[in-house]
Amino acid sequence: MIEASHLSKSFRLRAGKKDSGSAIRNLLRPRSMIKEAVRDVSFTIGQGEFTGFIGPNGAGKSTTIKMLSGILHPTSGEVRLSGINPHRRRREAARSLGVLFGQRTQLWWDLPLKDSFEVLGAMYSMEETRRIRRVQELDDLLRLGEFMDTPVRKLSLGQRMRGDLAAALLHEPSILILDEPTIGLDASAKRDIRSLLRSVNEELGTTILLTTHDMDDIEQLCSRVLVITEGTLHYDGSLDGLRSRIGMPAQIEATFRTLEQANAAWAHLQGAGADSFGGKQLQERTIIVECSLEQRSFMNILRELETFGELEDARMREAAFEEAVHRLYPDARPAKA
Amino acid sequence: MIRDLKGMASMYKLLIRFSFRSSMQYRFNFWLGSTIAALIAFVEFALLAVILSRFGTIQGWSVQESAYLYSILILSKAIYRTFASDVHHLEKYLLSGDLDGLLLRPLPVLLVLMTQNVSVRFGETLLGLGMLAYSLSSLAADDQIQLWIAIPLSVLICLNGGLLLFGIGLATAATGFWLTRIDMLQNLTEDATHTAIRYPLSIYPGWLKGILTSILPVAFVNYMPALYIVRGEAGPWMLALSAAASLVVLGAGAFLWKWGISRYQSTGS
Repeated sequence: MIEASHLSKSFRLRAGKKDSGSAIRNLLRPRSMIKEAVRDVSFTIGQGEFTGFIGPNGAGKSTTIKMLSGILHPTSGEVRLSGINPHRRRREAARSLGVLFGQRTQLWWDLPLKDSFEVLGAMYSMEETRRIRRVQELDDLLRLGEFMDTPVRKLSLGQRMRGDLAAALLHEPSILILDEPTIGLDASAKRDIRSLLRSVNEELGTTILLTTHDMDDIEQLCSRVLVITEGTLHYDGSLDGLRSRIGMPAQIEATFRTLEQANAAWAHLQGAGADSFGGKQLQERTIIVECSLEQRSFMNILRELETFGELEDARMREAAFEEAVHRLYPDARPAKA
Repeated sequence: MIRDLKGMASMYKLLIRFSFRSSMQYRFNFWLGSTIAALIAFVEFALLAVILSRFGTIQGWSVQESAYLYSILILSKAIYRTFASDVHHLEKYLLSGDLDGLLLRPLPVLLVLMTQNVSVRFGETLLGLGMLAYSLSSLAADDQIQLWIAIPLSVLICLNGGLLLFGIGLATAATGFWLTRIDMLQNLTEDATHTAIRYPLSIYPGWLKGILTSILPVAFVNYMPALYIVRGEAGPWMLALSAAASLVVLGAGAFLWKWGISRYQSTGS
């Protein structure tokens, strides 16, 4: 079980504004600036739940994850992992926690995978027989055998991720926190990792919290979604609930044969009866509209446009889920890295 | 408590073993690094020896006596850097965010850090031992010291020196939690002070002596104990005082470290 109550984290940044004053002045009198990375975030994830944690870059995902896993101390608020506060009792909390950072390996880079397991087993004070049995189990699940004796630096990204996942699971943690576990993987490796995670959750009953930018991860794995933007938790609920809030956003591009037709249709859209469209754009003979497919079907919209003349071309693009989340929370501008 | 310490000691041994196994993947680099380090230390002492042979003494300290100072320093430093290797390189972990991974383990971060990228300083150790042997034997030949007392005490002095240098290194590294970039500070508190105590402290002006015996008390690594062992200018209490200096520095380092780690800010992602 993961409990976060009123978590906040602010950082002091030393960066002075670039345009105000010279670099030398900034060096001499650094202006510090408090940045609130996470503001008053609370949630509880029950044992065995599989939860997705999404939000744009710089929204506070990583900061929250690092607070949950005991790496960063919150400015205020409290974390409990199975009842243990990882900031007061870090080493104890670490025993029931497995963490995977997709962008960074925790394996011994120059040693074969099996050596990493040996060290990790000792770190978590596992008996040798128990460790060997556990590695066997993980091998069955993750198919590690083929590269167990290869130095980690020579593994492919997909293999390395499987190895890292096994390393995070070795000490049988009841909580697994995954930061972008599918980043950089090709489609088949992603499929692999997902099915593995599903069986870890179902067969071992492990509580899993996962961050990702790939909505397929969320759709295929998570029963619950948390959305964070600008450091604040905006949504906590089912994926269907989030989807119905967003609607089914789509962008339709219709190109008329002549400029006159396009202009006439454009005039119509500017007038009454066109509230159902979000953004509108006219580019020569092409009209681009945004709408929710829940309210009007694609064909319905095409028929309306065709009253102004025959269409040369029409196409529809469903908005990416993440982009849609953005639009749902308009104060959430993507932060610069 | 005792069981805890025993557990930590065996964990430390295991981590060192694997760290070794890692660096042995690059044998050539490993041995070349060791050789070069020894060579540098040797050249530095040779320079000192040349100066000494010209002038005979430095402020009344003979060649043998200066060799004693130098060898204790080299051995202390070798002990510190062998047993606490990457503490000196904390900055690297702070800049890359690699400290995150260490914080996830159910072990003290310092213990894990101390066992990363371990290198045994064979070259420096050999050079230091050779120099110490030369110094002690020629001093004994002049009846200035008695070997059966000086040898065991010198071993203790080296261990104490290792602890003291480790304490200063730890305190300096811990400031990285606030400052992030600390290489210049390390230049000052570690490199510069180590260079300073190659020579007898008496050659320095008062304010520098003050610093080297109080804020950065590196004088207690070699000069102060040598006053008793080699020069007979101080009593055995000087050894107790040196041990006390190590404890104070180590305590301050541990305090700063604990405080600093709770302020760790990690990196962007």
